[in-house]
Amino acid sequence: MASNGPRNGPRIPRFLPPDPRVSQPYLLTPKMALRVAIIGAVALVAFGVLFLRLWSLQVLAATKYRSQAQNNQIRNVAFAAPRGPILDSKGRRLVVNTVSKAVEVWPADLPADKVVRNGEIWQLAKVLGKRPAAIEATIKAHRNDGPIATTPVTLQVGISPDQEAYVEEHATQFNGVKIAPTYLRYYNSEGLLAQTLGYVGRINPDQWKRLRHSRLGYLPDDRIGQAGIESAYDQYLHGYPGQVQVTVDSTGRRIGQPVQTRAATPGKAVRLTIDSVLQRAAEKALVDGIKIAKSTKDGWAADGGAIVAMDPNTGAILALASNPTYKPRVWVYPTANGLKPLQNQKAAERANYPVLNRALDVTYPPGSTWKPVTALGALEQHIISPYDTLLCSPTYSPPNPFGGPLQVFKNWNPFVSQWMDMPTALEQSCDTYFYQLGYDFYNLPASDGQPLQAWAKRFGFGSKTGIDVGPEASGLVPTIQWRRKTFKTAIDRAWKPGDSIQLAIGQKDIAVTPIQLARFYALVANGGRLVTPYLVQDVEAPSAGTKGAPTVLQSLAPSLPKQSGVDPSYLQVIREGLYLATHDPNGTSSSTFANFPIRIAGKTGTAEKVITLPGYKPQVLNQSLWCGWGPFDKPSIVVCAVIENGGHGGSAAAPAAAEVLAKFFHVAAPTTGRVSD
Amino acid sequence: MVQYIGTAATARRRRRRPSTLGQAQDAPFLARLDWTLLLTTAALVAYGLWAIGGITKHAVVGDSNYYLSRQFVFVAVGAVAMIAVIAIDPDWYRRSMRGVYLVLLGGLALVLLAGSVSRHSRRWIDVSFFRFQPSEFGKMLLALFIAAFLADRLNRIEDLRTPLTAVFLAVPPTLLVFAQPDLGSALVYVAAVAACLFVGGIRWPHLALLAGVGIFFAVAVLWLLPAAGMPVLKDYQRSRLTGFLSPDKDPAGATYNVNQSIIAVGAGGATGRGPTNSSQTNLDYLPESQTDFAFAAFAEQRGFLGVSGLLLLYLLVVWRGLKIVTVARDGFSAIVAAGVVFAFVFQIFVNVGMTIGLAPVTGITLPFVSVGGSSLIASMAMIGLLQAIHVRGRLRRG
Repeated sequence: MASNGPRNGPRIPRFLPPDPRVSQPYLLTPKMALRVAIIGAVALVAFGVLFLRLWSLQVLAATKYRSQAQNNQIRNVAFAAPRGPILDSKGRRLVVNTVSKAVEVWPADLPADKVVRNGEIWQLAKVLGKRPAAIEATIKAHRNDGPIATTPVTLQVGISPDQEAYVEEHATQFNGVKIAPTYLRYYNSEGLLAQTLGYVGRINPDQWKRLRHSRLGYLPDDRIGQAGIESAYDQYLHGYPGQVQVTVDSTGRRIGQPVQTRAATPGKAVRLTIDSVLQRAAEKALVDGIKIAKSTKDGWAADGGAIVAMDPNTGAILALASNPTYKPRVWVYPTANGLKPLQNQKAAERANYPVLNRALDVTYPPGSTWKPVTALGALEQHIISPYDTLLCSPTYSPPNPFGGPLQVFKNWNPFVSQWMDMPTALEQSCDTYFYQLGYDFYNLPASDGQPLQAWAKRFGFGSKTGIDVGPEASGLVPTIQWRRKTFKTAIDRAWKPGDSIQLAIGQKDIAVTPIQLARFYALVANGGRLVTPYLVQDVEAPSAGTKGAPTVLQSLAPSLPKQSGVDPSYLQVIREGLYLATHDPNGTSSSTFANFPIRIAGKTGTAEKVITLPGYKPQVLNQSLWCGWGPFDKPSIVVCAVIENGGHGGSAAAPAAAEVLAKFFHVAAPTTGRVSD
Repeated sequence: MVQYIGTAATARRRRRRPSTLGQAQDAPFLARLDWTLLLTTAALVAYGLWAIGGITKHAVVGDSNYYLSRQFVFVAVGAVAMIAVIAIDPDWYRRSMRGVYLVLLGGLALVLLAGSVSRHSRRWIDVSFFRFQPSEFGKMLLALFIAAFLADRLNRIEDLRTPLTAVFLAVPPTLLVFAQPDLGSALVYVAAVAACLFVGGIRWPHLALLAGVGIFFAVAVLWLLPAAGMPVLKDYQRSRLTGFLSPDKDPAGATYNVNQSIIAVGAGGATGRGPTNSSQTNLDYLPESQTDFAFAAFAEQRGFLGVSGLLLLYLLVVWRGLKIVTVARDGFSAIVAAGVVFAFVFQIFVNVGMTIGLAPVTGITLPFVSVGGSSLIASMAMIGLLQAIHVRGRLRRG
């Protein structure tokens, strides 16, 4: 590179005169030029690499990264739908929703620093009145599900305005904690039908595992039906969750307003077969029955019971009462003492297990209410004809095949000595009459099987009724095989005459639920058809019960009643006996029903059961039962009432049942009088 | 052997004979400026302001121009600095190289003694309304010092002792920066020294030897010493440096920054998402979006078109810078120019590379784009230095 030659010209005064020391042109040697070129090449390669990489990121893969950026900032948050209402048969809204506030935790948004996080949890625990460990456990249980950033953990629903205000005001201290609206159950029905309605609670890990792929929109932190109708019909009541998109920054802070991308589909309404007016009457009748029993000599220990009222033709449950009971509200607003009897074993024992649905889930010896079963079995087996008579004596002793002392079985009425046909024996509930039938069953040849048990099973005993809302006990019909299987010692394993004799009057091992009894009496009333009880008649649009005609979405008609195959003429005999029992002066519940404006037929039961009352030794106490129907010729309701430890069937259960019947037929409740078995 | 006219000996001779004037020096001053470089610089400054305006639009709630207006002030200061540097004859630095070295060491030592700490490192000295970051200016000072040192020993450059002494002298400032800790700037210092040695004429075997030592040193710091139980770097530094080799290893931890940065760059697409819709930048997914990762934020907002323009402007500067190396008046000027130009290239490559997963994450700024006064003023001063060399160089008169 040659520079310009020397140029002589006038000196122009300039800012920054040229450097006087540069005397000769600067020479760029080839080696120097090479090295500069190398630096240039390195720079070019470096920039080329950058260009290529940027091209591949921004032009070739832009879509991928743009969606990643979108996902970074968008969180889809599902929110639960309002739960469907529960209606009674007349469209009264028993259970609805109320909007409340819940404390939610977004696990991903909790402070990362352990100390800060613990401090926050501790603070939150103080506000909510919980233990920090319990909160941690709740969050952890949620996390077991895998890394969920899009769904919050609900810590507590139904918080007080004070708690809400505190959390909102100290929002900066509560990172990842949010107050969110939530739906709570509201019970217009107050304490009504508590055990049957069930309750709503947080989904547990097992349920979540089962339901997460059900496509019914269950959320990992969902609140679902945990018992009763809420549980059995959860798929209708639950609804389908809505979804909002929330924009968040890198710290999980929400920015701007959430945008709803899917509206929630409210849960559908469920219409029960229960008539809440009759239900209220039944629950009151139970309380009254217990009160009456307590006033009698052998019913002092009465402390609970159940009433089933059912349509004998369809199996529709009209009322289902269980006592003791509770207010379902305690599941929504838990109080220290409210939930304890429902969850804590000791407290539950003290309160005599209010959470149990005694109409479905508790078994009793049926006592004399069983006699129609024995009678039908005997007639079908031709052990006896309806109008053959047997001596009803104060005691009965079967012959002892081994010699030795005779076993004595007593009649409840020690003053009777009368030849009786079957209707009369049912009317007066003669035990010795049925002892003889029992012994006859015992003496049947083995080739005949066990016809009494077989008929009992055909009448629905010993197995679940299949009612749509559980839980349900299946009860027990004792058989030879059952004995052999259940017991250890030879003497216990043998089926003895006493087993048959006791079974004939519904004592000893036989165990039935009130709903099974009601079903059997429905069969007697309706001419031999075995109905399947049900509580829900249809599923309707969520607005059901508010305005206009209901929109039935799905009718849940139960399976048609099955013919049990029992001879109708034999049933007529039973019906005659049960009519006499409520109307003949010697009838066991005629004092209650003789003057009842509607013709009622029914049977009392006084069943001995070994009971251990808190603070007492085990003792034999009488369970008071009554089952019957009305009107006699054209049955529209069957009622079974059980008063635990209530003494004689006629004294406690019959008046309680009469109250229900009176409400059903809109007549005045009868006054009660004489007490008998 | 490289033969420069401007060796120490000739310079001394020149000083004795100041009357012989360079023939090219009679053109008007303004005409002797490298106008391409000047316009490119102006374009870069404007481009940087445009970028910062977008990046920081949503950074301060209620004042979308907070950072931009500050940056305008820095541009003004930077312009003054640039003019001042143009006015100073670069040879002055050579003659007062000891002073340069002392200022360099003193500034960096002051930072360690009195600097303010931010995000685990001590890099700044608080000066009323802005924070002065000596390491930004140190690059240029180190290049000046090493160039002066080499320029006076160009006839002995092939002797290994000369480059070794130069390296030895470069170690203290580099270590001081490294101790802040500011690994990125320390690497830039190394690059500047390497370029000075390279253009100064160091022999290839010596260059290979030094490179080998450097590589061994890096391997030792990153893998051998930690394995032997003597960690030199803090864990987070080491995982950042090595993290880019396996970006998917720990997306929430060590490589979170890189992953978010790549997403930001990629999301920008061909034409960018604009300052308002750039979620990665505005919602803080992108860390340090105004400084270290400013390129990613800019790439998200302005897309491939925007970053291409920026890189082309940088490339123009590099081209002019290398051109200036070839027209430099003397060896000293040439070596300084090469040192600062290569440091510039290196810094851009490392900064842009780290945002797209090509280089380790080290906290260095992107010249003209990162928010901050020191970086901008130092960059403009560096351009001023190149202009000063150009003004006094051998110009071809047309």
